[in-house]
Amino acid sequence: MTSQSTQRRFAEVVLPHLDDAYGLARWLTGNRSDAEDVVQDACMRALGALDSGVIERPRAWVLSIVRNTAFTWLAKNRPNTVLLTDDAQFIEAVAAKEPGTPNPEEALIAAADQSALESAIEALPHVFREVIVMRDINGLSYREIAAAINAPVGTVMSRLSRARALLIDRLGSRT
Amino acid sequence: MTPRDDPTLLLHAALDGELDAAGMMEIEARLAADPALAAEYARLRALRETIRARIPRAAAPDALRASVLSMARSGSPAPAAVPAPEGLRARMLSIVRSANQTLAAMVSRLGLAGSPYPALAATLMLGIALGGGVTGLLRPPPARDDMERAVIASYVRGRLSGQPVDVATSDRHTVKPWLAGKIAAPATVVDLAKDGFPLVGGRIDVIGMTPVATLIYQRREHQVALTEMPASGAAPSEMRRETRDGFSLLSWTHQGRRYMAVSDMPPSELDAFHDAFSRAAAAEREEAPKI
Repeated sequence: MTSQSTQRRFAEVVLPHLDDAYGLARWLTGNRSDAEDVVQDACMRALGALDSGVIERPRAWVLSIVRNTAFTWLAKNRPNTVLLTDDAQFIEAVAAKEPGTPNPEEALIAAADQSALESAIEALPHVFREVIVMRDINGLSYREIAAAINAPVGTVMSRLSRARALLIDRLGSRT
Repeated sequence: MTPRDDPTLLLHAALDGELDAAGMMEIEARLAADPALAAEYARLRALRETIRARIPRAAAPDALRASVLSMARSGSPAPAAVPAPEGLRARMLSIVRSANQTLAAMVSRLGLAGSPYPALAATLMLGIALGGGVTGLLRPPPARDDMERAVIASYVRGRLSGQPVDVATSDRHTVKPWLAGKIAAPATVVDLAKDGFPLVGGRIDVIGMTPVATLIYQRREHQVALTEMPASGAAPSEMRRETRDGFSLLSWTHQGRRYMAVSDMPPSELDAFHDAFSRAAAAEREEAPKI
């Protein structure tokens, strides 16, 4: 049995962010049932870590546990797809624009439908995908994202910028 | 490289509302002077707007929420979640709504109905009651009449919505743990299929401020909703039969528990349900390990 006070803290800190936790897990794992497993596992970890100190940004704290759990899960279950590296050159290469690619029209981007958007986001490497999900879907601030991915705000900004450049390229080049 | 040197990063920060007023002024000046930068900004804004408009924010499935809740209570991973057809969120809202209605009734009974904002007053009282926790001031046991009204209202709502249960299963061994994860006292769940009342599922109702277990049994095209709650201080009473708004109501107490069965069946059939239920419940108690 969990103590009353821990249960209460869990209800205050974790439960309000269960939707965002599940959303992030689904984007990272790519499907619903794996996302549920990851969220359950993450909630267990959160329960165990609740008493370890002051939690200043509950949402970032919860999402940080979820993304770490998801990455562990991916490394184990999808070893070929996960990108855990933050190797700068690799990221440059991934994000590099093809020379001569014309900048797509704003209207073409605005016209992208849900499935085009989803597949574009799913095609992003994980480290870019998570910042897009946290920022543009879950609405976290840069500082919250920085706390969630345990990286400086500058890293958040550059990843977000590259993630969006990739999305624009992809959406702009669809036929 | 700092963001100040890279106008692209500044564009993103501007888009995301992360710039202070001075930063915004700077970027606005740059956008006005640089058409290529302005076009990039328009693309980024289009991307952001289209993501916001087309990608829904995820909602955790109710079954996940339920299993996380029971896991948090027990401190160990929950067994495979039971799918719950009706939204827990909707249920929570309806709990608050029905609590509000109860309180609104109390407000009007207290003579505050002259207040121009009875609903607001009720909401405030609800807030006070919730804030006061379980030991709050506003917990007189609901009068029997109110309880009858509440169980009939829940029954009607369940029938009208076509979703009378939170957990739909004919297996009592699924319903019982589901209920146990949500309310303190264990509810009696029996299998009455051979008596002609197959189990449809269970749900949580709120009577006064107390969450209670309600089980739904089927009889041809009819349903019986059986609500069980602690009979706090009530003396064991005779069975009470009543017909109200066209619904049959049967209530009785047994070993400190109050049972209220509502149905659109004729009262005689509800009696048959009561007999079957009492027999099965007694058999269940026999089976249960003695402490």
